[in-house]
Amino acid sequence: MRTSEGPAESPGRAAVAGGFAGRILRVDLTAGRIWTERPSEREYREYLGGVGIGAKILYEEVPPEVGWDHPENRLVLATGVLAGLPVWGSGGLTVVTRGAMTNGATSSQANGFFGTSLKYSGYDAIVLQGRAPHWVYLFVHNDTVELRDAKHLLGKDTWETQDALHAELGFKGHQLSVYTAGIAGENRVRFAAIHGDYGHVASKNGCGAVLGSKNVKAIAIVRGDRALPVADARGLFTVADTISHDLRTNPTTQALYKLGTLPGVSNLSKIGVLPIRNYTTNQWPEGVDKAPWEGQALRDGFDHRGHQCNACGMRHCQQVVLGKGEHQGAIVDEPEYEGWSCGWTMGVTNPTDMAWLNTQLDRAVVDLNEFGWLMGWVIECYEKGYLTRQQLDGIEPTWGDVKAAHALLQKLIRREGWIGNLLAEGVKRASEQIGGPAAECAVYTLKGAQPRGHDHRGRWEEMLDTCVSSTGTLESGQSVEPGELGLPARFNPVGGDDVAKIVAGMLGRRHFEDSLGTCIFTTRTTLKNLCLAVSAATGWDYSVDEAMRFGRRTACLLRAFNLRCGIGPELEKPSKRYGSTPVDGPLKGVAVADQWESMVASWYERVGYDRTSGRPKADLLRSLGLEKVAQDLWG
Amino acid sequence: MTGSAAKAPHRDNAPRLRVVVETISYVNEMVSEGAAGQREFEVEARQGDTVYDILRRFSSLHPHLNEALWDPETGGIGPHIEIIFNDTILGVRDSEETLVQDNDRIVLTGQYVGG
Repeated sequence: MRTSEGPAESPGRAAVAGGFAGRILRVDLTAGRIWTERPSEREYREYLGGVGIGAKILYEEVPPEVGWDHPENRLVLATGVLAGLPVWGSGGLTVVTRGAMTNGATSSQANGFFGTSLKYSGYDAIVLQGRAPHWVYLFVHNDTVELRDAKHLLGKDTWETQDALHAELGFKGHQLSVYTAGIAGENRVRFAAIHGDYGHVASKNGCGAVLGSKNVKAIAIVRGDRALPVADARGLFTVADTISHDLRTNPTTQALYKLGTLPGVSNLSKIGVLPIRNYTTNQWPEGVDKAPWEGQALRDGFDHRGHQCNACGMRHCQQVVLGKGEHQGAIVDEPEYEGWSCGWTMGVTNPTDMAWLNTQLDRAVVDLNEFGWLMGWVIECYEKGYLTRQQLDGIEPTWGDVKAAHALLQKLIRREGWIGNLLAEGVKRASEQIGGPAAECAVYTLKGAQPRGHDHRGRWEEMLDTCVSSTGTLESGQSVEPGELGLPARFNPVGGDDVAKIVAGMLGRRHFEDSLGTCIFTTRTTLKNLCLAVSAATGWDYSVDEAMRFGRRTACLLRAFNLRCGIGPELEKPSKRYGSTPVDGPLKGVAVADQWESMVASWYERVGYDRTSGRPKADLLRSLGLEKVAQDLWG
Repeated sequence: MTGSAAKAPHRDNAPRLRVVVETISYVNEMVSEGAAGQREFEVEARQGDTVYDILRRFSSLHPHLNEALWDPETGGIGPHIEIIFNDTILGVRDSEETLVQDNDRIVLTGQYVGG
């Protein structure tokens, strides 16, 4: 059965600045109604795309009584002004919603081809609201937008879903982009993610659970054939070339260009921030050869083929063939560092095993960071007797046991049995339910989010960022071109005030990047270059100051939304294990707890938020053009 | 493999020290001998030398590393190379001004870009 009601607007592109498609696609799943909105050029300039437009919609349309699984929650899938243009990595998707882990705002990105396909079909974003009366998938191809029956897709993992829709719709390769929350989303697993294009995942804050709560199995976008004019094509090509040159030659990004994030395991192990066995140690395991874990060795250790995103010249994304072991011959997505580190939190030291498990997590699909912390917790609890074999349905997980981890994955994505249901809630809720000493070994933030796959006890900037964030993950992100923002090139990663200065100073840059429809790796260049790209695309004179103002305004909107949802400063803390002191390794004895309060206070002071209430100060809000938010928060 | 001592200016008459510089990850490619697989280099040092002195001395022999390591505006260490001094990131327990001791070890690695 199809509910077919194409956009109520006439075809053709709205008269807005270059680079934009000019339309937002709105879908009311309850009513089966589909229509478009045409923001003005002023609105596009103010909200850009991606997280910018998502934050606006969340704040204006999702009141506090609408929780993550309420039909009136919005799920925004947005791209940005540079998507589809000849800039490296311009197929980006940003998902903004009220997420299942924190029950607060989410901003999560994926790459591949979604953004490109959507722009070429004539849309800058899709906004889902309501709940379909039965399982559907959304089909988009130019002006044909339909809610189609998805019953036949239920029970399929993400790769199987994409395969099935390719076959059903008769498209090949990247003509069709399919994003789905897999079996985990169907069952509203709290850390379900949204996966597409065979390896790209918007993973944070249970955005996949939100998609599943709306009875939407997938979004299938055909690469449309709409023209995408830009204001200054020559200028755009020039700056795109400058950016790609930067990425290839800058000493920081050279390795990224060649090997992606593969060098991360060996680099981080050297400085004591590889998360080994659930934060129980920072020592490389005895007897484990380091050589296969070097970046080049991880690349060369598999037969690999390039799997680049839209217009991307990086040699980062690859698909690989497993050359040995139980799954020899299987084609999998080459893990990112986060995939490898997920394994290290569980004690997995065999690259082939983890390469296989990483793709099973993508197929499921769940946030692999959360899965790593969850499995690390389960293994430690089983080892110490806090969880029993009976509770685990006969599974006896040990450090590095990929089979046991996979067996537990299959249970949790189906919420099968007591243990499946417990684990489907994520490590914070699972550990709280078990209680006692088990509750003290879980890694999470009190808001319900989780760190990425690093030992943040040696990278306080990421612990601070993760805990104070309004997005369910890092909000400031890594320090990129700090000198451009007047920040120091180097800082003490365990010096509270140094760390607060960097995290506060960078706040806003990531939101700008995540509104462009590009990849964070291909935006590791100067803000000046990115603004030149925006200017060339749109015809605006877009400055670095405007970019950071946009970013800070977005941060304030998301924070205001969270405060309205009851997520306040009292939750800006790590769990006991997350905030513990390393017992060995290079950072043995370095205690973040000693400086936590002063570091957070310093951050608040620097970003202009009120420490007691968590609210952005009224004069800051007004200076950012958020008069209404100032009134809402301060009266 | 430990290479031959690097020849560079040093404090005359002060006792000699043995300091090793190790390059890992893509920093190895910035060091001319790295192509041959050499990763550890013994840098001639004397009592009174600082970490800064060792880094300057070592990088002066490797132009590509020299360009990547130093901030051209400030003359200080730039943002691209992470420096580990005796197993801890430089800046945590020690600084560029720390006096080196016999058998100290400096590791140069790339800045981590996560994801």
